[in-house]
Amino acid sequence: MVIIGESIHVISKAVSTAIKERDAKPIQDLAKAQADSGADYIDLNVGFLRKDPEETMQWVVNTVQEVTDLPLSLDTMNPVAMEAGLKVCKKRPLLNSASGKTDSKEQMLPLAKKYNCDVVISVFTDKGMPSEAESKIESIMDTVAYANEVGIPNEDIWADPIILPVSTAGEGQKLAVSNIEFMKIIQDVLPGIKSTVGLSNVSNGVPVELRPILNRTYLMMLARHELYSVIVDVLDKELMSMCKGEMPNIVDLIYRTMDGEDIDLSSLSQKEIDYVKTTKVLTGETLYSDAWLES
Amino acid sequence: MEYKAPIESYSGVVREITIGKGEKALKIGGENILPFHFFDEGSLPNPPIFALEVWDMEPTDWPEWVLEPFNDVVSDPAKWARKCQELGANTVSLSLISTDPAEKDTPAREAAALTKKVAEAIGIPLIVYGSGDDKKDAEVLPQVAEVCDGMNLLIGPVLKENYEVVGKAILNHGHSAIAQTPLDINLLKELNVKLCKFFPADRIVIDPLSSALGYGIEYSFSLMERVKQIGVIVKDGMTQMPMIANLGGECWKTKQAKESKEQGLLWEGITALSFLLAGANILILRHPESLKLVKETIGGEIWQK
Repeated sequence: MVIIGESIHVISKAVSTAIKERDAKPIQDLAKAQADSGADYIDLNVGFLRKDPEETMQWVVNTVQEVTDLPLSLDTMNPVAMEAGLKVCKKRPLLNSASGKTDSKEQMLPLAKKYNCDVVISVFTDKGMPSEAESKIESIMDTVAYANEVGIPNEDIWADPIILPVSTAGEGQKLAVSNIEFMKIIQDVLPGIKSTVGLSNVSNGVPVELRPILNRTYLMMLARHELYSVIVDVLDKELMSMCKGEMPNIVDLIYRTMDGEDIDLSSLSQKEIDYVKTTKVLTGETLYSDAWLES
Repeated sequence: MEYKAPIESYSGVVREITIGKGEKALKIGGENILPFHFFDEGSLPNPPIFALEVWDMEPTDWPEWVLEPFNDVVSDPAKWARKCQELGANTVSLSLISTDPAEKDTPAREAAALTKKVAEAIGIPLIVYGSGDDKKDAEVLPQVAEVCDGMNLLIGPVLKENYEVVGKAILNHGHSAIAQTPLDINLLKELNVKLCKFFPADRIVIDPLSSALGYGIEYSFSLMERVKQIGVIVKDGMTQMPMIANLGGECWKTKQAKESKEQGLLWEGITALSFLLAGANILILRHPESLKLVKETIGGEIWQK
């Protein structure tokens, strides 16, 4: 699985301050730490960059490229900043992201073609965010058709079904299930296409100490259905270890729970029990609550 | 080909809970069918019950037509409660509004003594609601539980902010608890999980909050429907508690109910009917005429099935 490190993100105060003050060190430290932890790409989420979009984006790209040879994932909604960044990337970058929204389609997809890069396309459209697997597939098929016309082949497209928080009252669990369904179908309807997700959003709003197990479990569930890539916290060691296939017993438990097997919890360790319970929440079998590990 | 209606059969059962003691005892819950699905396999051993609401002080903001049936008794909560019994309520719900620091800040001891007096004045079970101020309720409700030791009142709201102290008092003095969360099934389950670590699940009633017709009833309706479905169909033990719909106050503060008596009665009646359909096991109303209206609309025979 292709791992994209998410840590350089303007939502982090340290990152946004460093960008504003052109302080290279915090950003380079994060880039190096992620490279050392096994990232394949470094995501640069710089926000919309209303002020000095071109100069700022190029500064961030160059700053990171000084300390790592890894390819970059350029993450902004601003097409001006995006193009400026694409111009200075040394390795073939990932344009993150385009969607089915008219503006995004018309501005971002030609850039992906012009700079011959891979591109993330999400299921968003002008009508909003489709919630059922079928409507997500329909929406991505439309946008991919448009991209193909622009000259981008399926192989360069990384489809993103958009992960939303599982804790959202009532609906979150259905959405979690719809993404698994999406992964099952996508290769059949769009042969050759790749896929990616912003994983951490699944645990947004969940008590912070409980977030990692939700992220890890959900990643293994998606990976079972050929998820190609993931944007993720690469500094989570257990998650990286799972991605490298070092925890086959846990993954096996997750799969068996997904298949509806009635697993005897009394023979399991606490950690294994927690993974079974978390899988049941993400398949929708158990109703979510913040106390899901306690019941 | 002859059409044969499908018959469902579910393995989840809503817990049967007893409120009140001895001759006053009433059972609620115990069903393993969805609301009014009498055509399916299973049964509803205990039909929903109705409470009329009594306050521990004279209400100043009730429309005159809600107070009218109780004009002669509003100054005496015990007499008021007895009148509710005479008017056909299965149980009385006493609201300790005056204990609210924003009202009269009545001390816990006084509220507890009054509660005991009301409970002893009636031959039916008593539900007690604190003011909803989580800090004050953490003083008032444990006192109520202690003074009324062993009477098996149904006491709430038990909130995520005070469930430990209030829950323990309710448990230690032999009562049942109303667990209340703000219109969210995930929070509702979480509170039940936490409460059940020390509190028996078969002494809990869920209050998901009941919005009035036109003021968000859809949210309450879908939530109750879902709680019942997840309990009966999916068998989630943390949603298999009976539910209480405390709707009278929500209805009678609407503009429509304040405009005319007829509108108010219909507002309360239709809101109550909706929550019956959603699966409420206890309904708290304010007006005896809307209570009568609801009972007549459903009729008595359906519960015999």
